[in-house]
Amino acid sequence: MNGDPKGILQTRGLRKTFGGVHAVDGVDFLLTEGELRCLIGPNGAGKSTFFKLITGQLMPSDGQIFFGGSEVTTHASHEVARLGVGIKNQKPDVFDGLSTRENLWLAAQFAHDKAGAIEQVEQVIDRLQLGAFVHRLVGELAHGQRQWVEIGMVMAREPRLILLDEPSAGMGQEERLRTAELLKELNRTTTIVVVEHDMQFIKRIADVVTVFHRGRVLREAKVDVVLNDPEVRDVYLGRTEVT
Amino acid sequence: MGWLFSDFRRPAGERPGPVWWSFVVVATAVLLSLPLTLDLAQLLDLSVVFVLALLALSMSFLWGYVGILSFGQTAFFGLGGYVYAVAAMNWGDTTLPFLLGIAIPLAFAALLGVFMVYGKISDIYFSVMTLVITLILNRAMRATSGDQYVIGDVRLNGQNGIPGVPPLQVPWDSSVTLFIDHVYYLSVVLAVLVYVGLRLLLTTPFGRILVGIRENERRIELLGYDARRYKFAAFALSGGIAGLSGTMFAIWGNFVAPEMFGLGQAAEVIIWVIVGGKSTLIGPIVGTGVIQYLTSWLGTQGVGQVTLVLGAILIVFVLLFKDGLVPTLGAAIARVFAGRRESGGGGQ
Repeated sequence: MNGDPKGILQTRGLRKTFGGVHAVDGVDFLLTEGELRCLIGPNGAGKSTFFKLITGQLMPSDGQIFFGGSEVTTHASHEVARLGVGIKNQKPDVFDGLSTRENLWLAAQFAHDKAGAIEQVEQVIDRLQLGAFVHRLVGELAHGQRQWVEIGMVMAREPRLILLDEPSAGMGQEERLRTAELLKELNRTTTIVVVEHDMQFIKRIADVVTVFHRGRVLREAKVDVVLNDPEVRDVYLGRTEVT
Repeated sequence: MGWLFSDFRRPAGERPGPVWWSFVVVATAVLLSLPLTLDLAQLLDLSVVFVLALLALSMSFLWGYVGILSFGQTAFFGLGGYVYAVAAMNWGDTTLPFLLGIAIPLAFAALLGVFMVYGKISDIYFSVMTLVITLILNRAMRATSGDQYVIGDVRLNGQNGIPGVPPLQVPWDSSVTLFIDHVYYLSVVLAVLVYVGLRLLLTTPFGRILVGIRENERRIELLGYDARRYKFAAFALSGGIAGLSGTMFAIWGNFVAPEMFGLGQAAEVIIWVIVGGKSTLIGPIVGTGVIQYLTSWLGTQGVGQVTLVLGAILIVFVLLFKDGLVPTLGAAIARVFAGRRESGGGGQ
């Protein structure tokens, strides 16, 4: 059985159970090529687990995952990555004992030849302005800088689909703005799904937003509609006015 | 002057510089000229350091750079020795047995790798399983004292081991065999070749990905690399190097015994690597030399409990110099020179 031909990523009845708790509970999700989708929802809603299921870091208890129309439900992480899925996990997931340049090179090397990898690393360094700490060990960098390195690693592979789990966490306001601009720029050539909590950030980048709640999709609509939905505000925003 | 030691720190893909190459050339030249001043007994003692350093290198490569602690590297060490001994005694010729002493442990490690790496067992179980395998081989070889345990014309002799292992012949003339000083030269050359080879391997994409696996295996997978393939290859390679060490050990001592697979030998390798410093490749060579000479010296000083003293040394190193001798010394010297440069107000 194949996925929806319109969808670059699709899940059908995706479920993940941990000791009787449904972290992801029958999620049907469709993402079309070229989208920049935001996933929101309270902590424990299942967003990060959803990303981990898609990227093969966790095996689903039930349901199906399709990427580019082909089923990838039981694919290992490296197989999903090879098909063109890149992910930045929630916590910085980098090579702490290696330099920034080596981190980027390991990412670029997979998708490029020798000269191409070196060129790609330089491009990412320029684009993300990582030049100041290119020789430093990533483990010595500040949280926000490590986030940038990880985003750079995802970019260096030039994947078809990028999954970003809280890319602006630990960043200052200026860095958040830069990240938002970067995502919009990346979205010209790449499909992106972003998990975020920062509403200003979401309003800046998103068109369609999917709201997760208790492992299920609670709502999926245009950003303004979602953020003004009473039920969404009830479960997620605590009935506060969204500005 | 701190830069002098930067080449000896954990490499991260950078090719070694001229300082490192100069060190290798000078150190090799010095070591190869030692037979001019040392007597045969001293050469014999020094040879075994380089023979065992190969075993230490096989472990430190896997542990320090791939992040896998194979507690039972002695399985491949012992296997290499026994393969050489049995094959050389059966066939008379030693060239093919020498090569088999590397190839069969490598193949055995590859076979184990299929189950352990592709079975995705966790790191701690990897250590335990390799230890169990070497202990099984140890017990199995001890149990071969009966007349029925014969391979070709060679009796395995149980715990008494196999004496009279033939010396290595020159491949192109089997009438010429290596004497003590030749074995020394060969040991040094092999240790240097393996050291340089592994150091250069770590600068290749393969080696850099191995280091990536040590740092964060999940991230390596998420980048698209099949980490199992790399770990499997590294484990097989380290098995081959340990086999080479065992083969050279059999040639050096003209003797193999089940102790080569034993717990004592397995633990000793870890001590060499920890004392020398597993984050470098030169460290385990230094560690092997220091511990080997210390063991001999303690023996001549009438210290009854050499193993106990070695245990105490290990504890001291784990607690006080957790990076090991070479990285600690390197960092200390780098600090001294950095301090001088600052007080002198100089630049680079």
